[in-house]
Amino acid sequence: MTQAEIKLCSLLLQEHFGEIVEKIGVHLIRTGCQPLRVIAHDTETSLDQVKKALCVLIQHNLVIYQVHKRGVVEYEAQCSRMLRMLRYPRYIYTAKTLYNDTGELIVEELLLNGKMTMSAVVKKVADRLTETMEDGKTMDYTEVSNTFVRLADTHFVQRCPIVSATETAEPTPPPPAPTLVINEKDMYLVPKLSLIGKGKRRRSSDEDAAGEPKAKRAKHIESKEPIPDDGIYWQANLDRFHQHFRDQAIVSAVANRMDQTSSEIVRTMLRMSEITTPSCAPFTHPLSSNEIFRSLPVGYNVSKQVLDQYLTLLADDPLEFVGKSGDSGGGMYVINLHKALASLATATLESVVQERFGSRCARIFRLVLQKKHLEQKQVEDFAMIPAKEAKDMLYKMLSENFISLQEIPKTPDHAPSRTFYLYTVTVLSAARMLLHRCYKSIANLIERRQFETKENKRLLDKSQRIEAIIASMQATGAEETQLQEIEEMITAPERQQLETLKRNVNKLDASEIQVDETIFLLESYIESTMKRL
Amino acid sequence: MAEVKVKVQPPDADPVEIESRIIELCHQFPHGITDQVIQNEMPHIEAQQRAVAINRLLSMGQLDLLRSNTGLLYRIKDSQNAGKMKGSDNQEKLVYQIIEDAGNKGGDWRLKLWYLHIVTYALNQVCHHPTPRHTFFIGCFLCSRRIWSRDIRYKSNLPLTEINKILKNLESKKLIKAVKSVAADTARESKQNPMIQRNSSFASSHEVWKYICELGISKVELSMEDIETILNTLIYDGKVEMTIIAAKEGTVGSVDGHMKLYKAVNPIISPTGLVRAPCGLCPVFDDCHEGGEISPSNCVYMMEWLEF
Repeated sequence: MTQAEIKLCSLLLQEHFGEIVEKIGVHLIRTGCQPLRVIAHDTETSLDQVKKALCVLIQHNLVIYQVHKRGVVEYEAQCSRMLRMLRYPRYIYTAKTLYNDTGELIVEELLLNGKMTMSAVVKKVADRLTETMEDGKTMDYTEVSNTFVRLADTHFVQRCPIVSATETAEPTPPPPAPTLVINEKDMYLVPKLSLIGKGKRRRSSDEDAAGEPKAKRAKHIESKEPIPDDGIYWQANLDRFHQHFRDQAIVSAVANRMDQTSSEIVRTMLRMSEITTPSCAPFTHPLSSNEIFRSLPVGYNVSKQVLDQYLTLLADDPLEFVGKSGDSGGGMYVINLHKALASLATATLESVVQERFGSRCARIFRLVLQKKHLEQKQVEDFAMIPAKEAKDMLYKMLSENFISLQEIPKTPDHAPSRTFYLYTVTVLSAARMLLHRCYKSIANLIERRQFETKENKRLLDKSQRIEAIIASMQATGAEETQLQEIEEMITAPERQQLETLKRNVNKLDASEIQVDETIFLLESYIESTMKRL
Repeated sequence: MAEVKVKVQPPDADPVEIESRIIELCHQFPHGITDQVIQNEMPHIEAQQRAVAINRLLSMGQLDLLRSNTGLLYRIKDSQNAGKMKGSDNQEKLVYQIIEDAGNKGGDWRLKLWYLHIVTYALNQVCHHPTPRHTFFIGCFLCSRRIWSRDIRYKSNLPLTEINKILKNLESKKLIKAVKSVAADTARESKQNPMIQRNSSFASSHEVWKYICELGISKVELSMEDIETILNTLIYDGKVEMTIIAAKEGTVGSVDGHMKLYKAVNPIISPTGLVRAPCGLCPVFDDCHEGGEISPSNCVYMMEWLEF
């Protein structure tokens, strides 16, 4: 793990879980697999606290454990999974666009709690939705369950691995750590629960009035009722979300390059391969033109002939996103996922070069990309840029590691005057370099955000206190003049400062999400390339 | 469907008499009478008056209009069918009125009806798709007035079902026939056909060369190779894409049996997320770390960017 990644993980853990978890987590990232006592010793924290921290991390799938020989259990941190915490807003937003508010809240609850049983999720989401609804209306459990089932059917949520129920002949002592397994078939199987009920509105008056006896009674009731699906836990399936993002990126690329209808056809093809093709495959399964025609969305009046023509155009396009793999069934077509990801990653690189160094540099970059290997002189000729400027630009890009040099000696002694120096772009290494830069950028953005918040800490505390006072006064029924008096305690320039702070924090937040989009494209490309090697 | 009031022109001096004479004649010759027969019978009335009377009878459903190899035939219509047509009389008037209006020729619709010997018409196929698959037009061979039946629908505010009924009635009277417009079809097809759309947006290097030469913006004589080099730089700018097609030796602009075609393209992604943050473009990125001279907390670029 690079320093930048470790720094970013540390910032994320601190923001989400606090100091202690951050310390343990970062220690595990730095040192790799470690047993419990060693962790406690090295980080100089009490065993109790280390256990709690590890519980939190394991619950959120950030740390895994393994039983090694001699019965030692070792813990290992999952750095890449920690970096996914940046993408939580994007997952939640996707769920919102696909399944409305109910889906959004279900995914949010699952992400914030790591693993949950279905009944717990349904209850909590129903309660939350009821809060936002008008007085007198409540959210029914069945609607929430239906959305949950739909999420499971489309593989956006999956079951967590469970302890394998093995029958033992004689009672053997339990192993130091359980091994968790999950059957492929059971991963998206929703248990048959009859969840009947409605969401409850949390009334503050009830809490005040009832006081202790009610709280005690409520707890007693809860522990008595057996949870019907105890032991069946669900988590968000991040791979499926990543597949969705990848599909979105491909469809929008086709829409930009060609027209709307072509992008709809590509979207249909990707939708058909959602469940059948594994996420890391370089090609989707071949789809026949007849199948595609049948699966086109209703209301799209594209005749079979026109569809065939569009498919031919897509297959012949220089983009090479779609390929023809056979002629049966009216023509078999595949989507070249690896090529699509490579094109998107290359476009990202080109975009960065253009913004950082200018459009002439971008021209040279694209030229070297297309021609693979070029000499200095050839670069000047093809790009139509004067020699001095071309040299300057090439060296600048070389120093930033976007372009590399390939030496081809003419003589065995590698004399510089008798060697060819060819410029070339290796997309994989440039992508890795850019990815590293992205991680550091996000870390910078988070640090700046925390700094801004810390700077104005006094002001924020003051405004929070005043808001609390106003809220309590409103509850007890205060007069309008009194409320105004309290509000005036925040002066106008302070209000202005608060506004600016809010705007800045939002801007930094949004920027983090934008950089994360770049990270997603680059990581997908690198992963796809490594699988093929 | 607003009932449009159609102005009924008052008939001429003896229209009733003319009409009754014509009816008598039709009864005399149940197989139909031609215009010439009527003219012989009543030589004193003008053609205009004759036409008016015949149209009126036709519209009232008392006469049938038939075509034979010699000309037009008017035949007495069965009384039982006469009643049926009466109901749609007003609406039919309306439909023909609209056709006539489209032709920019004023005058009595009845007169025009007489001239509409064979009307080719079409129906918008009732379909659930947003754009109709087949669109026909109504036109007359003689006076080449045309109007899309869609326009008739809009102008008359009659529902599609009514229009269909009226046109079907007319069809059953053998006045009109369903004919698809070939010209309209090919025009529409070429608009939708993606191949044709795409191929028309390409320009060969020869065309570009000719265009630049004609513009006369260059003092130096540019050859086609020079133009191709310039176009290549545009490819490296990511603004243009090129395909090579095989072309016969004779075609203009082909070199060694193939032609280069160029097309303007859009970039496939918008500027990536990293360059929207100040760190993506920062020149001192490598020197930046928390607690140093250059750090995220005191970064000037961030400060400027936040004030934006």
